[in-house]
Amino acid sequence: MAETPLVAAERLSKTFQVKVRDPGIGGAVRALLRPRYRQVHAVRDVTFRIGPGEIVAFLGPNGAGKTTTLKMLAGLLYPTSGRVHVAGFDPWNGGPAFKRRIALVLGNRQQLVWDLPPEETYQLNRAIYDLTDADYRSRLEELVILLGLGEVRDKPVRQLSLGERMKCELVASLLHQPPLLFLDEPTLGLDVTAQEAIRRFLIEYRDRHGATVLLTSHYMQDVTALASRVLMINQGRLLYDGALDVLVARIARVKRIELVLGGADGVTKDALAAFGEVKSFHFPNAVLEVRREDAPATSARLLAALPIADLSIEDPPIEEVIRQAFAQGFEGADA
Amino acid sequence: MRQVLRLLAAFWRINVAEELQYRANFVASVLGTLFYMATALLTLALFFRHTSQLGGWDYWEIVVLLGVFNTLTGVIEAVLRPGIGSLVGEVRSGELDLVLVKPVDPQGFVSFRRLDIWRFTDIVLGLALAGYALHRTGRAPSWDQLVAFGLALAAAAVVVYAIWVLLMSLAFWFVSVENIAVLFDALFEGARYPVSAYPGALRFLFVYLIPIAWTTTVPASALTGRLRPALALVAALVAALMFLLARLAWRVALRRYAGASG
Amino acid sequence: MSWARRYSALIRTAWLVDLQYRASIVLWLLWGVTEPAIALGIWWAIAGSGTVGGYARADFARYFFGVMLINQLTIAWDSWYLDRWIREGELNFRLARPLHPAHEAVADNIAYKARTASVILIVWLVAAVLWPVVRLPATPGRLALTAVAVVLAAGMRFFISFTTGLLAFWTTRATAIMELHAGVSLFLAGRIAPLALLPPAMASVAGVLWFRSMLAFPVDLLTGSVHGVDAVLRGFGTQLVWLAFWAAACRVAWTRGLRRYGAVGG
Repeated sequence: MAETPLVAAERLSKTFQVKVRDPGIGGAVRALLRPRYRQVHAVRDVTFRIGPGEIVAFLGPNGAGKTTTLKMLAGLLYPTSGRVHVAGFDPWNGGPAFKRRIALVLGNRQQLVWDLPPEETYQLNRAIYDLTDADYRSRLEELVILLGLGEVRDKPVRQLSLGERMKCELVASLLHQPPLLFLDEPTLGLDVTAQEAIRRFLIEYRDRHGATVLLTSHYMQDVTALASRVLMINQGRLLYDGALDVLVARIARVKRIELVLGGADGVTKDALAAFGEVKSFHFPNAVLEVRREDAPATSARLLAALPIADLSIEDPPIEEVIRQAFAQGFEGADA
Repeated sequence: MRQVLRLLAAFWRINVAEELQYRANFVASVLGTLFYMATALLTLALFFRHTSQLGGWDYWEIVVLLGVFNTLTGVIEAVLRPGIGSLVGEVRSGELDLVLVKPVDPQGFVSFRRLDIWRFTDIVLGLALAGYALHRTGRAPSWDQLVAFGLALAAAAVVVYAIWVLLMSLAFWFVSVENIAVLFDALFEGARYPVSAYPGALRFLFVYLIPIAWTTTVPASALTGRLRPALALVAALVAALMFLLARLAWRVALRRYAGASG
Repeated sequence: MSWARRYSALIRTAWLVDLQYRASIVLWLLWGVTEPAIALGIWWAIAGSGTVGGYARADFARYFFGVMLINQLTIAWDSWYLDRWIREGELNFRLARPLHPAHEAVADNIAYKARTASVILIVWLVAAVLWPVVRLPATPGRLALTAVAVVLAAGMRFFISFTTGLLAFWTTRATAIMELHAGVSLFLAGRIAPLALLPPAMASVAGVLWFRSMLAFPVDLLTGSVHGVDAVLRGFGTQLVWLAFWAAACRVAWTRGLRRYGAVGG
């Protein structure tokens, strides 16, 4: 694709000034009398390009700089240095024309009016975005069907479950069918069914409308299910930019087997060590680490050999994956 | 009891550490109180530009009452509003359940768990104002007047506390009304002036029904010598009655809550 | 871009939310009338059977009922909401929409005031039936003039409130500044007494600054206490000047504040 990218960030950086406070009463008094500040480099020298129709995930632990990057792309923050272009606009100065082309969904704060049914917020957005009646009705219907929201509409938002609320939030955000979606932790706090429903929806929506989706997450599953391309960010730096399967193959070489042992405490740590590296052992819970490709076979052997009440195969925590990535020196590689 | 104190002390320690981190809070709190006191004094001065007495009280006598009002405001802002005042929100959100499972008397715990420590300065400033105003009236109080004042003031604090508990018990029935505390604020405004300044019907209301009179008028009267010191004992009695009434209302409300939820 | 449709949607939403909170709103209303009610009570006692600064009991009654009504029509709470939006991250999604957040605030005001002012008006009408002393000889001309003054006052108070709310971009003490302003306007805007009863120096400051324009001037128009075309025109002139001033201040605060928000985030 030699066309101009839809989203382009060049050496993007953002630095905040934060007040320093030591814990405890002594520290609190000191902060009272003589406040100090330190610089937080939330985003350091990040460069990437995203084309139309891509689904891209910004992956990283909490505080990595993902949300800050997203806010700069959406025009809520302006960069300390570097440049950013989105859909032909400078987001910070984009104005209403830019805002009509984006949707911003923040996981922890919602635009739905809390005390009224979601329909009221939809109607409000219809007026705000100047949608024609025909457009409004057809898009609403499509979104409701795709998200499976048929019965929800009459209850006030505060009475909806977290999953229903997020789905309604998505409806409200997409009525104006923007070409760009910015989602900050969209599956945060949702149960597995809701998470899967939202992931399926995003893929379907992109397939139908060719929208470009940028999301931040610290869940591996979001990335594996959704994004063909992942940008790994840690401590403000872009560690990896490329295809997901490549990243997985390169880094997440291990899997963790989480066990709940049954029976009396006859199973010893040594017994488990025969199957793999024992990460933690507090009877009846245990966590083993094995090579990714060995995980299914090892699980089968464990189930056959030991009294096990529960077993699950998990990805290693994202912090570990990233730590490994950093240790192995991924820096701003393109796919 | 010791357990309650230990629990409260733990909460208070965190409170204080939290409060100290906000650099300007102390200064802001004192300035705020001084500002409101100045406003009240100016308002009074404005009235007294056109009269020499209100309800039979002269300017400095009413300032004594104002001092008592500020002292009680300090108690409310430091202890009551942050503690029992947040009950409404907790009933709505269900957080109250977290309180009820703690192994202490819920009323005691809820009432005193959170302190806005800077507002204790209001109490000091209020008493200082009352003292200064008393000096300006030229009447030096006798010992039994001072004792009566102390008793009446303590009784007043209890009455205020009881009114808060009664109002907050309403929160269990009117769950959707998030600002019930505003009702108290509106009523308590009437305590800025001596009860005799109001027409008869209101006077009856404020003495017998919504006993605002016992909050400021009675202690101020005790200090300035308008009140026979023995009547302070009546104040104590009223306070005791109010407390019992409030506790009853609380238990009824709590029973209803525990029965309704789950 | 259909502003009529946008505003009717915003006002409708605000109205429906207020409906959910109607019990709380009644309490706020009660709180709002307590202050003028007590002030009336005290002046009533002071006036006795005579006059105070030219005001007899009946005059005080009409004045303070006027204050109750017009304060409800002109008061602005936006500083509180704005302060919360800024501090609790509720500004973000509003900034991502192609609608300036001020419009939502204006629509909120319209819905809230329509609701609360009608209550006060009904209370006044009922009171007028029972107590002749609060009856107002309201000619259409006077009502029209008052309406204009009320709109100007409401606009100005909105800008004052919004501007003070925007201070939350810079300080956590924005609410303290609002309280300060409210404390000063207790006297200078005529909430505690008609301006004629203030020391003359204070009264003239109130007239030169924006305070009289906030409340006392529309109330005086309503109760017929503004005599002569000159006085009326001067009053309106002052209102217009300060309305323009605060509108400009609001705009500056918004631009600067937004720039700071983009620097430090929310």
